[in-house]
Amino acid sequence: MLKVAIVGCGKIADAHASVIQQIPGCEIVGACDREPLMATQLQERFPVRKCFPEVAELVSEARPDVVHITTPPASHFEIAKFCLEHGCHVYVEKPFTVDAGQGQRLVDLAEEKGVKLTAGHNHQFSHVARRMRALVASGYLGGTPVHMESYYCYDLSNRSYARALLGDKRHWVRILPGGLLQNIISHGIARIAEFLTTDAPQVIAYGFVSPLLKSIGETEIVDELRVIISEEERTTAYFTFSSQMRPSLHEFRIYGPKNGLILDQNHEILIQLRGAKFKSYADHFIPPVLFAKQHFANLVGNAKLFLTKDFHMDSGMKFLIESFYRSIRDGAPLPISYREILLTTRIMDTIFEQIRAGQSQGRVAYQAQRVP
Amino acid sequence: MMTRGVRAGSNETTPARGVALEPASHESFIVAPDDRILITGAAGFIGSCVVESLVDHGFRNLVCFVRPSSGLAGIERIINQRPPGVRIDVIKGNLLSRADCEAACTDVAVLYHLAAGTGEKSFPDAFMNSVVATRNLLDASLGHARLRRFVLVSSFTVYTNRGKPRRRLLDESCPVEERPELRGDAYCFAKVKQEQLVAEYGRNFGVPYVVVRPGSVYGGSKSQITGRVGLGTFGLFLHLGGSNTIPFTYVDNCAEAIVLAGLVEGVEGEAFNVVDDDLPSSRHFLRQYKKNVRLFKSVYVPHAISHALCYLWEKYSKRSKGQLPSAFNRKRWHVEWKKTRYSNEKLKAKLGWAPKVPTAEAMGRYFQSCKQGKQHA
Repeated sequence: MLKVAIVGCGKIADAHASVIQQIPGCEIVGACDREPLMATQLQERFPVRKCFPEVAELVSEARPDVVHITTPPASHFEIAKFCLEHGCHVYVEKPFTVDAGQGQRLVDLAEEKGVKLTAGHNHQFSHVARRMRALVASGYLGGTPVHMESYYCYDLSNRSYARALLGDKRHWVRILPGGLLQNIISHGIARIAEFLTTDAPQVIAYGFVSPLLKSIGETEIVDELRVIISEEERTTAYFTFSSQMRPSLHEFRIYGPKNGLILDQNHEILIQLRGAKFKSYADHFIPPVLFAKQHFANLVGNAKLFLTKDFHMDSGMKFLIESFYRSIRDGAPLPISYREILLTTRIMDTIFEQIRAGQSQGRVAYQAQRVP
Repeated sequence: MMTRGVRAGSNETTPARGVALEPASHESFIVAPDDRILITGAAGFIGSCVVESLVDHGFRNLVCFVRPSSGLAGIERIINQRPPGVRIDVIKGNLLSRADCEAACTDVAVLYHLAAGTGEKSFPDAFMNSVVATRNLLDASLGHARLRRFVLVSSFTVYTNRGKPRRRLLDESCPVEERPELRGDAYCFAKVKQEQLVAEYGRNFGVPYVVVRPGSVYGGSKSQITGRVGLGTFGLFLHLGGSNTIPFTYVDNCAEAIVLAGLVEGVEGEAFNVVDDDLPSSRHFLRQYKKNVRLFKSVYVPHAISHALCYLWEKYSKRSKGQLPSAFNRKRWHVEWKKTRYSNEKLKAKLGWAPKVPTAEAMGRYFQSCKQGKQHA
């Protein structure tokens, strides 16, 4: 029986507890929150053996094999470090750490202690993302990716919702080096990091406060971001985060020398983009039919998943947690490589550094900067 | 017991009166006009009416606790129109901060707690903004010996609406949800836990509390139709209420009940349901809404069918391990769509409450403001 503990009993802890209770051979031996009432409410709704107010107490008394850290990001490093030092495997919710230095130290510590570590990049494991990965691995792109586009949006169009979210000047989002962006963009950046082949791509970031946020008096929270990432004349990528554009996309496009793919996370759709052209007017008539066929196949696939009760909203998280547990129990490879986790963190650091530099100089940043 | 201008002791069959209230006698209240009164959620839909009602009752030392992000137009209007000698302080803060709660509770004699995590689908968020916030307020108020009454504004959602002692009649003697986590409704879970916490503080620390449970509060330009009438989905409105009576209370009437719950002596530890007189049926309300506000397509779903659908949804949700969230289930059906009668007898008898605005007039005002709101939109 794998003994699992959850530290931090807020909103995302619900998703973790819900998935863990479905995995055979697991038991939630403890839930920990500095606010005892929060730990209790989780225990009342899920099969949690005991509640703890402190991590040290949880680790020494419940002796978990795995700890899921679902606290606000600023506390991830200290809690993960403590758990790793005490021989626990650790799942850290996104964003992994507040900077790459902390991330590297956690990875080093995990390797030193012989335990495993993963980050909550669960969108990488949705059904459609797994289908895309399999196609890329089969050589569908025809070689190394030439270009990628990752969209990861967050709907802040509702003025009263934006006010409620941003009205509290003491909100933990504000103390993160990357503010609101840091709490959200790691899913979209991780998609790009997975397919980069070098460890030090160049980054140009352009961020600003949207007119909507400005209209409610916000001047610090950057909620519009455009990024160019490039690898020495090889693979390039665009990343877009927007709180205002519609539709609010969660999309990834990847183009190889031969073919391309579009992953539409919102609708769980994967579209293959055929590089070869049809002759003359046939190129105007045959592709629409082929696209229609692909969309229909996506519909049938999604319906099948739904009917077989395998189409949960958090299916990516379930797959990630199961894969992580398998790597712990059976020595299977980690679901996300440490390289990908750290590269994601380093790219994010570089983006935030450029935005901060731009803000301090009263302009947006345009200069390319190499990821350290 | 206070004396009021209306006779107490009637229920939902009593004709609407809408009698203008006589000025309240402060001698019969547990606090004096200059005692400090705190209202959390004061910028909200009901909260601003509570502040207004307290001013009308002659209270002169009010503290409005609001979120930093709250719009203050409603409170500012009251402040600008207040009679001479009335002091209304506004404190911006977060009830999750113990320091903010300490600051707000200083020297408070009556605390009206209306702030809540409403409209949240997440259980932890709803719980934190309701229960943890309430615990902070209770702890803060314990430090000040002046607290005479803690009024918790809860909701009808806490009732199971099953196993009632008087068949269809839902009153304060009816059972409250014992397993609120199974309702699939974060708000219900948070409200039940919040009531339990307040009762615990009452038992263990002697906090003099009163719980007020309003039905469906309407008024202003809040044009969203209560789920007890039906649900809009895929461009079609499913009318689920049919001939059911809807436990409406107009916001001014509800605010008056809340205010009295904090002032009238001898009701510590009691709960009060708040519904108006002459309640309309769901069908009548929907017809009037369509006639006066906007036209839309609706389909009546008979109770047997809505019950069967809730049953199937509940079973599928369980079998699929949450592929469909358990938003619809038999527990919810019993609470929202089962034929039920409501009583305001206790409210009238013990608090001397009477609706300030008769239902017919309140509905007229409501439809008018919805129409105006729609035009402005």
